[in-house]
Amino acid sequence: MSSKKHPLWHNFFRPQGDRLSEVTDLWMDTPLFESIPHRKCRELVNNMHPRQYIKGEKVFSAGDIGASVVLIRSGGVEIMAGEKLLAELVTGDFFGEVALVIDEPRTADAIATEDSELIFFLRSDLEEWIQRSPQDGARFMLNIARVLAARLRHTNILMSLQGEH
Amino acid sequence: MLQTILTHPLIRTLLLFTLAVVCLSFLASLFAPLLIPIIISFALYAILEPLSSRLERHGLSSTASSLSVLLLLVLLASLSMSLLMPHLSAQLTDLQQQIPLVWHTVMAFIKSSSQFIAQSIGLDIEASNITQPFFEQANEWGKTALVEASNLLISFALFLVLVPLFTFFLIRDYRNFRNLLMDFLPNSSFELGWLIYHRVAQQLQDYIRGIMIQSGIMSIITTTGFYLIGLDSPILLGLVAGLLNLIPYVGPLLAMVLPILLALGHAPFEVWLLGAAIAVILIAQVIDNVIVIPSVIAHAVNLHPVIVIAGIIIFGNLFGFIGMVVAIPLISTANILFRELFQGIKRSQRKQQQDLEAA
Repeated sequence: MSSKKHPLWHNFFRPQGDRLSEVTDLWMDTPLFESIPHRKCRELVNNMHPRQYIKGEKVFSAGDIGASVVLIRSGGVEIMAGEKLLAELVTGDFFGEVALVIDEPRTADAIATEDSELIFFLRSDLEEWIQRSPQDGARFMLNIARVLAARLRHTNILMSLQGEH
Repeated sequence: MLQTILTHPLIRTLLLFTLAVVCLSFLASLFAPLLIPIIISFALYAILEPLSSRLERHGLSSTASSLSVLLLLVLLASLSMSLLMPHLSAQLTDLQQQIPLVWHTVMAFIKSSSQFIAQSIGLDIEASNITQPFFEQANEWGKTALVEASNLLISFALFLVLVPLFTFFLIRDYRNFRNLLMDFLPNSSFELGWLIYHRVAQQLQDYIRGIMIQSGIMSIITTTGFYLIGLDSPILLGLVAGLLNLIPYVGPLLAMVLPILLALGHAPFEVWLLGAAIAVILIAQVIDNVIVIPSVIAHAVNLHPVIVIAGIIIFGNLFGFIGMVVAIPLISTANILFRELFQGIKRSQRKQQQDLEAA
């Protein structure tokens, strides 16, 4: 049994500091944590929830109630709308950020394309953080708004291109 | 056939819900001797956690902030104990001695009233015969309640050690412990599990904070009122009124009994004192219903009054006073758990059906 493969050994013997720094760096590289101090992000990451998925396992399905944004720490995830592939995501990418803003069902399926470790940042943790650090919370919400606006703009362009063809 | 029944969302929800209730009941029976300190510690955690978070925000470590909050709690408790305890135990002893006198005066009052009725309208209702068994029973209950209260004061010494200890560890470690437990959820139920937990925790926290504030306000108002009108044992009566106010609907009614009986048994009997005691309780109830409840605990639980009253009676019958106090939070938790489980199972089955149809 390889210590690298088995999550139990992996969790017990890997130095926690390394892991925390690595996940913090991954989040800091996303637009969600732009202009947010590294220390604050690290505090937040300390309370996030890592989960292991095997190849082909569903992370969530369209229609499920969403409660978190998900970061890929290792492995890969594809986002599907029915049979249509919307995106192929790899280490450092995040998805499901809409669930941080609204209490609505997921609109697409997310499936692990290989054995993956995903980090869940829950809406409840975000809400607590906003109460604790309103300034940083406001910055974070502004960042989410930018990400969602960019996605909306991208979708609009795609739709208008499809209309032209 | 059995397969169809077992896969029905409602049946599956009922099975899962029953399993959860059985597990929780087993845990409760396992921790039965520690249940009251645990409940009190959770209530204190709900109140003190925001303060601890505030301290953490100002740069204190979680241990330092938990310790600071604990020290503050111990300091406040010691201060109020040293101020209240001598009065409270004296008033408890007075009340214990007063009870036979109260019954005697009340009986004499009823006897003279029935004589007056018999003389005025010629109706001999033999009120004392009707009320005698009731008062004998009530007398027993009163004595038992006082013995229980005295026992509670003795176990209070144990609580004094356990409650601060539990509260400290809850404030410092509750989140980590909760995260550890939630990590046992399977991937497919992870987000749903957190969602249910968050809704239950939010509602319970709001309810506990609200009801504790409401109880404190009621204690202060009634103690002040009883003191101003000159009723005996005002602190004790105020504390009892505050504690009984923890029980919705039924509690305020029960809180009226002791002050009215004391006013009735006051020697010499004074009508104005009885009226004043009732007025204090009514004024406190008006303030509670018009100002405190709407601003402090409105919408903390969204249950039908019939369910609330039935729950209080059933839990009170099963577990006594503590049962009556925890009835509402428990029913409210069960309500959210059942509803969210049912919705989650229905959604998941609908999705499976759609996937099958697509395949």
